[in-house]
Amino acid sequence: MIETILFWVLALAAVASALCVVVLRNPVNSVMALLAAMLATAGLYALMGATVVALFQVIVYIGAVLVLFLFVVMLLNIKGPAAGTPRNPAAVAASAAAVGLTAGMAWLGWRAVNLSIPAGAGGGLRPEAGVAEIALELFTRHLLVFELTSVLLLAAAVGAALITRKEKDPS
Amino acid sequence: MSLEHVVGLGIVLFSIGAAGFFLLSNTVVLLLCIEVMLNAVNLILAGFSRYLHGTEGQVYIFMIMTVAAAEAAVGLAILVALYRLLKTLDMSRINFLKG
Repeated sequence: MIETILFWVLALAAVASALCVVVLRNPVNSVMALLAAMLATAGLYALMGATVVALFQVIVYIGAVLVLFLFVVMLLNIKGPAAGTPRNPAAVAASAAAVGLTAGMAWLGWRAVNLSIPAGAGGGLRPEAGVAEIALELFTRHLLVFELTSVLLLAAAVGAALITRKEKDPS
Repeated sequence: MSLEHVVGLGIVLFSIGAAGFFLLSNTVVLLLCIEVMLNAVNLILAGFSRYLHGTEGQVYIFMIMTVAAAEAAVGLAILVALYRLLKTLDMSRINFLKG
């Protein structure tokens, strides 16, 4: 019972703040709304028993990615567009198509899931997928992928530094 | 709370992000919309991970988070370079590739 109430509260908070990300004009407000959405999602992870993921959501997303966004928004001093700028009709059509495609994919995926999973396969909350269990998975079966993601992060860091570097005077 | 609820919430969040991506013109907010979409996918993965009583989904979430962090770093670096070049981040004014 308490789980259902918590789920709905967190879900409504996540959807409302995600809408705020899109609707608000000032980019700083958008970043703050996304922070609220991330927090609500972290709460949902904790509710689902994925406590490690909730922890990493707060540390990685809110602590690193969103702070990076805030830094850039404040450094560049970006202004939102003037109120009442007309919408490009192509953009409206494209967003409607995106929503429709998402719904279609969801329906197809849902049918596939219903066909492939026997009824009553899941349901109950797994007690705790603790750090030890996930670390065991991550460092044995998925070790190669884990190492590859670390290489990806290194490449991204070097690439970001390279892109933002000021061009040296050729003379 | 069942799998339907979690997947439905993920779909709603993904739709919001996708619609915003096409509607908005501020480049920083476009990157935020991408983050919203990635978050929705993570939520669905966590839901299935719970439904199937496994840890695989959570391992995938770590991978997606890493890719999201890398994407944010490179994307923001490109934005900074673009702003230095053009002094604007309005998508409707950045149209080099327009035919």
